[in-house]
Amino acid sequence: MEKIKSRKIHAVSVAEVFIIAFFVFMALLTVFPMWYVLVGSFSEGADYTRGGVIFWPRVWSFANYQYVLIDIRIWKAYGITIARTVLGTGLHIVVTFIVAYAMSIPLLKFRNLYYGIMIVTMFFGGGMIPYYVWLSMTGLLDTFWVYVIPKMFSVYNMLVFLAFIRSLPGELREAATLDGAGEYRICMQIVFPCCKPVIATIVLWQVVSHWNNYFDSMYYVMNGDLYTLQYVLKIIINELSVQNNDLIPPAVLETLTPTVISYAAIIVTILPVLFVYPFLQKQFAKGFMLGSLKG
Amino acid sequence: MRSNRKKWRRSDFELQSMVLMGIVFVLFFCYVPMIGLLLAFKDGNAVLNITNVVFYGEWVGFSNFEIFLKDKNFLDVIVNTLGLNGLQLLVNFPAPILFALLLNEIKQSKIKRSIQTVLYLPYFLSWVIFGGIILSLLRYDGGVLNELLLAVGVIDQPVNYIAQPSYYWLIIILSSFLKNVGWGMVIYLAAIAGIDGCLYEAAELDGANRWQKMRYVTLPCMAQTITLFLILNISNLLDNGTEQILVFQNTLNLSRSEVIDTYILKYGINRMMYSLATAIGLFKSVISVILLVSSNALSKKLTGRGIF
Repeated sequence: MEKIKSRKIHAVSVAEVFIIAFFVFMALLTVFPMWYVLVGSFSEGADYTRGGVIFWPRVWSFANYQYVLIDIRIWKAYGITIARTVLGTGLHIVVTFIVAYAMSIPLLKFRNLYYGIMIVTMFFGGGMIPYYVWLSMTGLLDTFWVYVIPKMFSVYNMLVFLAFIRSLPGELREAATLDGAGEYRICMQIVFPCCKPVIATIVLWQVVSHWNNYFDSMYYVMNGDLYTLQYVLKIIINELSVQNNDLIPPAVLETLTPTVISYAAIIVTILPVLFVYPFLQKQFAKGFMLGSLKG
Repeated sequence: MRSNRKKWRRSDFELQSMVLMGIVFVLFFCYVPMIGLLLAFKDGNAVLNITNVVFYGEWVGFSNFEIFLKDKNFLDVIVNTLGLNGLQLLVNFPAPILFALLLNEIKQSKIKRSIQTVLYLPYFLSWVIFGGIILSLLRYDGGVLNELLLAVGVIDQPVNYIAQPSYYWLIIILSSFLKNVGWGMVIYLAAIAGIDGCLYEAAELDGANRWQKMRYVTLPCMAQTITLFLILNISNLLDNGTEQILVFQNTLNLSRSEVIDTYILKYGINRMMYSLATAIGLFKSVISVILLVSSNALSKKLTGRGIF
C-alpha cells in the first residue's frame, strides 16, 4: 500500500513537470515577440537592417523615440482616444445601468415587449452598410461623436447588469420606496453602489474596447485630426519612408528606418495598457462569468 | 388598455422614462438601419443621394444578389470565410479548454498565477499592436523567423510570408491562438473553480485517479460553458474578426485574405456600391440566424442545453 502510494505521487510530479515546462514554453512564446519589438525600438535603424539583432540592441539609439514623440499625430490621437474612452465609458455605464435597473423591476409596464425589442437586436440587424448610410444621414459620420453616441448602450451589458441587480435582496428597494425616494434616486444612490463589482468589470470591458478600436477611425472618420491612437499607429506601421523633420539633425535622420520607428510607436502605444494591466487582469473575467452563467 | 390596469403612478412614469432611453437607442441604431435593408432590392450602386434610393428607388428584385453570386471572386470569399472560421473552430476553440485542464493539474498556485498573467496579456492589446508585433517577426528583411529558419537550414532564401497568399491562413490562426488562448483559458478556469469540491471527494472515495477525475468530473461540469461558447462560435461562422483580417491583409495576399466582411466594406464604403454590399450583408445575416437557431436546436437535442 505504502509503496503504491509513493509511486503514484512520483508519477504525478513527473507529469506536472512536463505541464509546467509546456506552459513556460508558451509563456516565452508570448513574451518573446514583445521583447523583440522592444529591442528593435532601441536599435539604430541603419544597423538593425543588417539583421541579427534579436535579444539585445547592437547599436543603441533613442532617435526612434525622439522621432515618434515629436510626431504631433500621436499626441492628438492620444487626446482623442482618452476623450472617447472616458466619455464613451461614462455614458455607457450610466445609460446601460439605468435601463437595466428599470428592466429589473417586475412592476415595469410593457416589460416583456421591451425585453423582446432588445433581444431581437442581438441576433439580427441591418448590417454594416445600412448602418453606415444611417450614420451619414444623421450627420454623425466624420465627427467625434461617432465614437461615443453609437456605443452609449449595449443589450448584452444590460443583461449582465440585470442578472446582477436581480441577485440583490429585494428589500433594498422596498425600504427606499417607503421613504418616498424617486426611482432615479433609488437607482443611482442605492442600487448603483451595491453593484460595484459588476460595474468595475463593465467599465474595464468598455475601456479596453474604446482604447483598442481602430475600425471607427478607418471607416467612419475622414478628418485626420479625429483619428484615434490605434489607427494612427496602423498608419505609422504602414509608412514606407521616414519624413523629413526639422527637430532631428540630418545625420541622425539618415540612420532612421520605418521599421524601427514603427517599433518605437508600438511601444509608446502599448505602455498605458501595460500600466493598467494588473487592474484589468483581476476584474475582467469576473463579470463575464456573472453574465454568461446567470443570463 | 390603460383602463384595465392599475392607475399609473409617478414611479411608473419614471421607470418608463428610464427604460425608454434604451428603447429609443435600439430603435435608432438597430431598427432604423434595418429599413436600409431595402437597398438590397433597389438600384443604389454608385449613387450620391442614397436616402432617396431607400424610399423612392426602383425595385430591382434579386439582381444585386445575382451580381455577387456570379462574381468570380465570390467563391474565393466564401472559401476564405468558411475555411478560416472552420480552422478557428477546430484549433482555437478546443485549445483554451485543453490549456485550462492542463493548468488546473498544476498545484503550485504561484506558478499557476504567473502563467495565467503572462498568457492573458495579449488579449488586452489591440490588433494593430499585436498584429504589428507578429509582422515584426515575419519581416522579409531580417525578421527573426526568417533568420532562424535560414540558420537552421530549413529555407535557403528569406520568405516574404505576408505577401504570399498561401501563408495567410496560418498567420491568422496562429496569431489568434497566441492572442486569445489565455483569455479563453481564464474563463474556463473560472468555470472549473466553481465546481463543487464534494464531487472530487466522492470520486476519490471511488478510487478515481487524476485522469479519471478530469474526465468524469471536471469536463462534464464545464459542459455548460463549453456549449455556450460552441453555439456562439457556430453562429459567428460568417463573422471573421474584421480588425484582425484587415491588419494582415494586403493587395498581394488578397486571394486568401478576402472574407465576406472585408468584401462588404470594400464594395459598400470604398466603392460606394451600397445596394450590392447591403445584399451581401443581408445574405450573411440570414445565414447567421439560421446557423444560430439550428446549432442551438442541435445542442438542445444532444445535451439538453441551449442558450435560448
